[in-house]
Amino acid sequence: MMSKIISVGGGDVATVNIGGAGPLVFLGGPCAIESRDHALEMAGRIGAICKALDIPWIYKSCYDKDCRSSIGSFHGIGIDDGLEILAEVRVTQGVPVVCDFSDAEWAAQTASVVDFIQIPAYLCRQTHVLLAAGETGKPVHLKKGQFMSPWNMKNSVRKIESTGNQQILLTDRGTFFGYNMLVNDYRNFPIMAESGYPVCFDATHSVQLPTSMGNISGGQREFIPALVRAAAGCGINALFMEVHDNPDEALSDANTQLDIRYLENILAQAKATHEVRLSLLSQWGEDNVHVEC
Amino acid sequence: MSTSSANRTIEDILLKPDAIPAMPPKTMVKEALEMMTAGRLGLACVVDRKGCLVGLFTDGDLRRLLLRSQKPLSALFADDIIDHARTEFMSVDRHTSISEALSLLQQREIFDLPVLDSDGKLEGVIHLHPALRALLESDGE
Repeated sequence: MMSKIISVGGGDVATVNIGGAGPLVFLGGPCAIESRDHALEMAGRIGAICKALDIPWIYKSCYDKDCRSSIGSFHGIGIDDGLEILAEVRVTQGVPVVCDFSDAEWAAQTASVVDFIQIPAYLCRQTHVLLAAGETGKPVHLKKGQFMSPWNMKNSVRKIESTGNQQILLTDRGTFFGYNMLVNDYRNFPIMAESGYPVCFDATHSVQLPTSMGNISGGQREFIPALVRAAAGCGINALFMEVHDNPDEALSDANTQLDIRYLENILAQAKATHEVRLSLLSQWGEDNVHVEC
Repeated sequence: MSTSSANRTIEDILLKPDAIPAMPPKTMVKEALEMMTAGRLGLACVVDRKGCLVGLFTDGDLRRLLLRSQKPLSALFADDIIDHARTEFMSVDRHTSISEALSLLQQREIFDLPVLDSDGKLEGVIHLHPALRALLESDGE
């Protein structure tokens, strides 16, 4: 079953459609907005790579990092300054932007700038947050909590739908396997796709080892390429990766952000795998192993 | 069966829509089972936005589903009821006689029959027990 298509951006920035038999869409950028100059530089460099590969993309970066492990961790640049920088990224790059929010009170202000409003995975059950996102009228990027089964995401989807908003992207970012460890269950993509909405793979958070280093999270970036190819072969509509020019010095998620020098390589393979999958489906038809119940 | 009961139509004994578990197709299986339990009826009637019956799910369907399904129960609970409902079913209209309805219940060895109008809208359900009660009351007259 092909998913519905959601439309992000438009107007003074590019329109990016996600879903159906469309191209693989990339959601990417630094985890946190670190500074205006850094945000603009990263947007320029990522944009150039996506343009060269002809991959539709949406710039991602966040003004508030409320789920950091430690009270001492960088918490974010703040909503006012952050949104001002994202607005400048939009104008200079002509690219739609996605950003999360952690407090229902921030939804309207966030949506006044961003094209795509994101629900953090840890908050994917929070009714006030989901309703606030839905009520903005902007497409909603809903991440599956690491503690959630893919089928139970239906409840979160319904909360957003109750606002009349039916523009949702469902993302898998790994599932807790005991403590401080995530694994990827690739059944999550077809299961979440049963909702009819497009699905996305968050590769960089999937390799996270949550709070494995006492007061910060670790990560195993070396697995990103293999996991991306597997996800694209399984069937996704979008790929999410946090990208940084110097991950070791990044102000957040230093152990999982992808060094931009690897971005072209991984995106090219993801795109090729996605196209091979679509070609196979075109030749052989949709997956048709059905059960009776 | 007495003449009086044979002549009565099911209109007198049908369970009205507000007394039966009727639900939209995207109702979760878990919610459907709760509605069936609250309604004290082993039958879920799946209706579309116009109120037309599009599926039936019974206690027996649930038993067969549990015996077949390889999904975790939590995943099964989250499925849409329409995914497991029967979309082909027998129905009667409100002018059917009680004796005719009882014969159908007996022949099919079922407990319930949906009652539909000419557009397929759900008007109610004939349940075996009220039908039998009507029969016994008529025989006692």
